[in-house]
Amino acid sequence: MMIQWDAETVIKMAAYAGAGLCMGLGAIGAALGEGYTAGQANEAVSRKPELSGEVFKTMLVGQAMAESAAIFALVVAMLLLFVNFPTHSWLFAMSSLSAGLCMGLGAFGSSIGSGFPAGAACQGTTHQPAMGGRLMTTMLIGSAVCQTPAIFAMVVSFILLFSNFSAQPFNPAWAALLGAGLATGFAAIGPGIGGGLVARAACDGVARNPERAGPVTNIMLLGQAVSQTTAIYGVLISFVLIFRNNEATTLIAPSAALLAAGLCMGFGAFGPGLGLGVVAQNAVKWISRSEAGTGDITRLMLVGMAVTESTGIYALVISLLLIFVV
Amino acid sequence: MDDLGNIHQIIVHLGGWDLAFNFEAMVMTWTVIGLLLLFGFFAVRGRSLVPGPIQVVGELFVFHLYGLVEDTLGKERAKTYGPLICALFMFLLLCNWLGTIPHLEEPTKDLNTPLSLGILGFLVAHVSGIRAKGFKGYAKEYIEPFPFMLPLNLVGEIANVISISFRLFGNIMGGSIIILVISHLAYSLVLPPFLLAFFGLFVGTIQAFVFTMLTTVYISIQVK
Repeated sequence: MMIQWDAETVIKMAAYAGAGLCMGLGAIGAALGEGYTAGQANEAVSRKPELSGEVFKTMLVGQAMAESAAIFALVVAMLLLFVNFPTHSWLFAMSSLSAGLCMGLGAFGSSIGSGFPAGAACQGTTHQPAMGGRLMTTMLIGSAVCQTPAIFAMVVSFILLFSNFSAQPFNPAWAALLGAGLATGFAAIGPGIGGGLVARAACDGVARNPERAGPVTNIMLLGQAVSQTTAIYGVLISFVLIFRNNEATTLIAPSAALLAAGLCMGFGAFGPGLGLGVVAQNAVKWISRSEAGTGDITRLMLVGMAVTESTGIYALVISLLLIFVV
Repeated sequence: MDDLGNIHQIIVHLGGWDLAFNFEAMVMTWTVIGLLLLFGFFAVRGRSLVPGPIQVVGELFVFHLYGLVEDTLGKERAKTYGPLICALFMFLLLCNWLGTIPHLEEPTKDLNTPLSLGILGFLVAHVSGIRAKGFKGYAKEYIEPFPFMLPLNLVGEIANVISISFRLFGNIMGGSIIILVISHLAYSLVLPPFLLAFFGLFVGTIQAFVFTMLTTVYISIQVK
């Protein structure tokens, strides 16, 4: 029997492939993050067995937070499996595949990242049992902000799933849609992990020096917010790629440029995201230890972050040039 | 599910221009402004040394946010920028919380609201920078460390506006999509209140705070 290669079959195929990739890739990070948390919890309990109830509670809440990005991936995968997409344009095949890739890759960093503060909170509970509540709050805030890159990936995959692309010409538009998914997907990895490093330092700091909990939480939020900047550049490039008006062409070069723009921003965001996280991690660490230099450390952190971010801005500029000039 | 990504627009033709007004975002923004004015009116009416319940809430906002601005900008400048920062935080907080009430929507779900607030913060920061350092000192920072860094420094400044507004927009939009889709998949049983509490109240508060704090930091970078 011959396989019918009509639009409906190809779109279904792409949706299934997208669903599989989405959940498969999305499961990696969550498992790593939750495993890290559980490992730290084991270490904490071995140090103070009498606090095992507290540690167990903190571990479960932390793991639930670390799993949320994987749940976003599950939602997108379920939609890809069960929603009937319109079949009048072949572009819907590419948009379903791209949406799956975007959410799958995007869940990776945030899940690993939010495992870090949960592990540190488990350890901290045994260092300062009296500060359990405060540690839990810091951990929840830190992990919630870690989820931001995954939430961006989800917004982009929903736009890819539910926008109407039938007016677009197939040739450059397929590359634009694939590039859009890859840009946000890859761009979310580094900032997700970086934000987790900051939150881990904050949980550690609160446990070490509970009096500094207020400033530590503030600087943590600031550091996490700035380290997500490159993920936002990825979202920006995705939006430009999705909503631009493509002119029909038979050449392969314009398509290659659009795909390259997505990949450039995606990979270019990885390093700065992680690097910014490391800067903020150390700033938070030292702010939790000394009261005197808070203002100076914050200013140095922001200047250091601005310089670290510059390679992300180079990637943004090159992506925009690839889209609009080349 | 069908109303996902649908925006009700009123399009006005005016002398060759098509002006598009996003109906829901405008109505909701005015709702928030009205509620804040009411809150302000009741908070200061009948002020006394032993405060009433609404006055306590108002004092809580003012006290904590002034403390934050003083930490970042110093005591003297806090008097200038404190009211702006307080107003910004309270506006954003109420905007992000509005979506938890049925039939109401967050104005921050529309990119126009975060973007205009981001541009507002950008203008305030740069005008303060020019006023604090003089135009020469302000312009000199763009050619540091090297003159050929000028275009990248300019892109960096514009990227600040984009990152601050997309961060708020993406989080609120993402939260409302998650609430909508998971509620739909679970037939609106059990889960929606927890999702609303997490994405509406908790993430909404954090993101309002992050936006406010970043605006303060952008001002402090320019004036120092």
